[in-house]
Amino acid sequence: MSEAYPITEHKYDVVVVGAGGAGLRATMGMAAAGLKTAAITKVFPTRSHTVAAQGGISASLGNMGEDNWQWHMYDTVKGSDWLGDQDAIEYMCREAPASVLELEQFGMPFSRTEEGKIYQRAFGGMTTEFGEGPAAQRTCAAADRTGHAMLHTLYSQSLKHDTEFFIEYFALDLIMDKDGSCKGVLCLCLEDGTLHLFRAHMVVLATGGYGRTFFSCTSAHTCTGDGGGMVLRAGLPLQDMEFIQFHPTGIYGAGCLITEGVRGEGGFLVNGEGERFMERYAPHAKDLASRDVVSRSMTIEIREGRGVGPRKDHIYLHLDHLDPAMIDERLPGISESARIFAGVDVHKEPIPVLPTVHYNMGGIPTNYHAEVVDLKDGNPDSVVPGLMAVGEAACVSVHGANRLGSNSLIDLVVFGRAAALRAKEVVTPGAAHAPLPADACDEALGRLDKFRNANGSSSTATIRDNMQRVMQDDCAVFRTSKTLAEGVEKINKVWEQMPDIKTTDRSLVWNSDLVETLELDNLIRQAVVSMTAAENRKESRGAHAHEDFPDRDDKNWMKHTLTYHSDKDGVKLDYRPVHDYTLTEEIDYIKPKARVY
Amino acid sequence: MVELTLPKNSRVGTGKTHPKTDGATNTKTFNVYRWSPDDNQNPAIDTYYVDLDTCGPMILDGLIKIKNEIDPTLTFRRSCREGICGSCAMNINGTNTLACTTGMDEVDGDINIYPLPHQPVVKDLVPDLTNFYAQYASIKPWLQAETPSPSKERLQSKEDREKLDGLYECILCACCSTSCPSYWWNSDRFLGPAILLQAYRWIIDSRDEHTGERLDNLEDPFRLYRCHTIMNCANTCPKGLNPAKAIAEIKKMMVERR
Amino acid sequence: MGMRAPLKNVRGLGSAKEGTTHWWHQKVTAIALIPLFLIAIGCFISLVGADYTHVRYVLGQPFISIVMLLLIVAMFYHLKLGMQVVIEDYIHTESTKVFLLLLNSFFCAIVGLSAALAILKLALGG
Repeated sequence: MSEAYPITEHKYDVVVVGAGGAGLRATMGMAAAGLKTAAITKVFPTRSHTVAAQGGISASLGNMGEDNWQWHMYDTVKGSDWLGDQDAIEYMCREAPASVLELEQFGMPFSRTEEGKIYQRAFGGMTTEFGEGPAAQRTCAAADRTGHAMLHTLYSQSLKHDTEFFIEYFALDLIMDKDGSCKGVLCLCLEDGTLHLFRAHMVVLATGGYGRTFFSCTSAHTCTGDGGGMVLRAGLPLQDMEFIQFHPTGIYGAGCLITEGVRGEGGFLVNGEGERFMERYAPHAKDLASRDVVSRSMTIEIREGRGVGPRKDHIYLHLDHLDPAMIDERLPGISESARIFAGVDVHKEPIPVLPTVHYNMGGIPTNYHAEVVDLKDGNPDSVVPGLMAVGEAACVSVHGANRLGSNSLIDLVVFGRAAALRAKEVVTPGAAHAPLPADACDEALGRLDKFRNANGSSSTATIRDNMQRVMQDDCAVFRTSKTLAEGVEKINKVWEQMPDIKTTDRSLVWNSDLVETLELDNLIRQAVVSMTAAENRKESRGAHAHEDFPDRDDKNWMKHTLTYHSDKDGVKLDYRPVHDYTLTEEIDYIKPKARVY
Repeated sequence: MVELTLPKNSRVGTGKTHPKTDGATNTKTFNVYRWSPDDNQNPAIDTYYVDLDTCGPMILDGLIKIKNEIDPTLTFRRSCREGICGSCAMNINGTNTLACTTGMDEVDGDINIYPLPHQPVVKDLVPDLTNFYAQYASIKPWLQAETPSPSKERLQSKEDREKLDGLYECILCACCSTSCPSYWWNSDRFLGPAILLQAYRWIIDSRDEHTGERLDNLEDPFRLYRCHTIMNCANTCPKGLNPAKAIAEIKKMMVERR
Repeated sequence: MGMRAPLKNVRGLGSAKEGTTHWWHQKVTAIALIPLFLIAIGCFISLVGADYTHVRYVLGQPFISIVMLLLIVAMFYHLKLGMQVVIEDYIHTESTKVFLLLLNSFFCAIVGLSAALAILKLALGG
């Protein structure tokens, strides 16, 4: 096989796959630590989906009132519906302020308070006094373009550190050795179709989420979970894949995101009867309840006939009562989005919105050092040598069953940095690479060759559409035993279509037909394990709302789902315990209790 | 002499016309530039008919529909589909813009799509922006300061922060630079509107202490002064920014510091 | 070229550390030319149909000759600066470019100086 496809070999200490927020932060830190680092990305770094994050990045800076990391931790644990690992959550919340201040030092253009400090706004689920006090203003913002400001800042930092980028290189597969350690990653250069094997002592997957398994999502077209696909093919598990966050306010029809910051700045949701219905569902937090709660409430309103519009199938988000000058200063980006995608002038009219798939809490299981872990010989925290994962691709798990808004950006920088710190400890710069067996890349090449010449009867777009519609229908905000059972059956049918796939473009130069097919192969595997994991979890927790099991069941289900997938045997399920301990003595384990907002 | 006509191997011919899909009555015509290095042929314009009844409203929706249902070989960059990533910049009916935020109804008659002008084409609508990105790196787009950083954030007044508005929003889509005739003729030495706007974003940042060095670096008959205030940049920017104004501010500072 | 790093190409020979003078002088001469041209045109209109001696007499008047001298200096300097930009913009063959730049400088200097001398002769009664 390797005769037909000549491979150029590159040797690095570390290779980072993906150049979004987490990937760039990891790359920068590793390069600064003196490791020979390559950053591989399928899109130019500033096109990564971090760029679309709007509302902000959470950190208990206390610029807008008293705050501390313990309160942030409590909110995150409660937001996660106690499925988050509290050692990791402690690490994130404790490191958050320093990570944000670091971004500011890099030159990120945060909005400012009158005193010249970083401006912070209220966000869903963020409170003070361990949930007893008023809402916290904890989300640091650059107007409503925080992700854009952050990604551009991190990209410029990696330029400063002379990082070696391989831009528009698509990662095909991890190269693992017999003992299960990662030895490198095989990539396709889009520009000329050449193959490149990047040898590394540490491969960091920062490939983002798999939002495009759904028909309607706020995710970019490129959010195809390529890291998750590679991990599954390498025989490693993904964790908590049933937890998929629906953002309450995606623009009706287009699916584009409208930040939770709108509600943080005083916006609110209204149903077809003109009622601020969130007061009924979350009397305390109202519109600033956690995302899963708001999305479910909206869905119930629509289901019970209280939606808006001619078909009563969406909800209005009002900000027309807010000071126009404030909107122009703090929410200019969503004003533009609302105008373009909904034809709405936010100064005068409400924005039509609908809960839309937004974030994957699940992903590649890691510890708080960003090292990938697997359940091996009874050890649920067995580290996979040579492999790390960060960002949305990973499941640390700090978000548990439901992520709080603005906790994703902090996840990116805290764990991107953690990965760099850990790599500095475990990788010796310039260490020799052991030779690989001659057939090390054969399996990956076989897969590439199969899709490149695929000549079946269903196009990539057709199969992708089938998958997206199944996920949209049967893996929705509310799930039942019936829809999930049907969903598993239907998604497996779609999976069975894969061998019959057809690609048309036979070129090797910028073959986006081939890339979309390889992406679909990554997506469909994750769709299958997500649906299976959802069907398996017989309780309701966070974003997994099971109508036949409406309560959280800590006795039986306080555990992470592990899903393995192979072409031959399909999905295999297993579990990892939730870490019921914290990192230090400075805070005790936060015990589960009822989750009310 | 600059080349005012296309070289022989770049002259655009007539390509394939793909038939309408069955049952499509309400269609929009897309004429799309096609070129692949594989077949050793001149570029050509292919014609597609997009069924508006089963398609999203934006031009990017149309292109994706063509790729999904008519011709999977059509090649273009796209990602966020909401005007923030800058991937799908292309020339649509003579204007450089983002396909994802331009509605099909904004174009009367046929939709004619070309790659961004005056850049090497990799394939179809995918231009090679290597030079543009290298120019971005050349202005050192990061904060440079020697004053030891305080333990908390560097303070910045609201007024100083406001000066970054209209600048930091740039998405590096290259629409403005590739619409600038001066950049067409001298992109090897002229930095172009996008990069000069980025340069100004750091010059005007109250936290940056290398203002002088940054101005020194731009003080050049080509890097900065090839801007002849043609204003195409401000007209075309899909984010509504005004690079021409940023360039004028840099020129003003150059005179001020003499 | 293809083997060089893109940053190498972009940085080229570095910043010339000049350009502002050129740009500033072009703007200053442009502004100066507005009133100078208006006066000159007014003067020429008033001289339509006048005989040779009268024209010589008027152009020899101190105010008019100063305006004419300033006009000539500003105009040919502005012309030189402007043509230089046009040549640099459009002519990319190094030898042709240098030749045209020299030609431009010489042309502006010689023709400008000749015109100035003519006015001086009139003004100083030579």
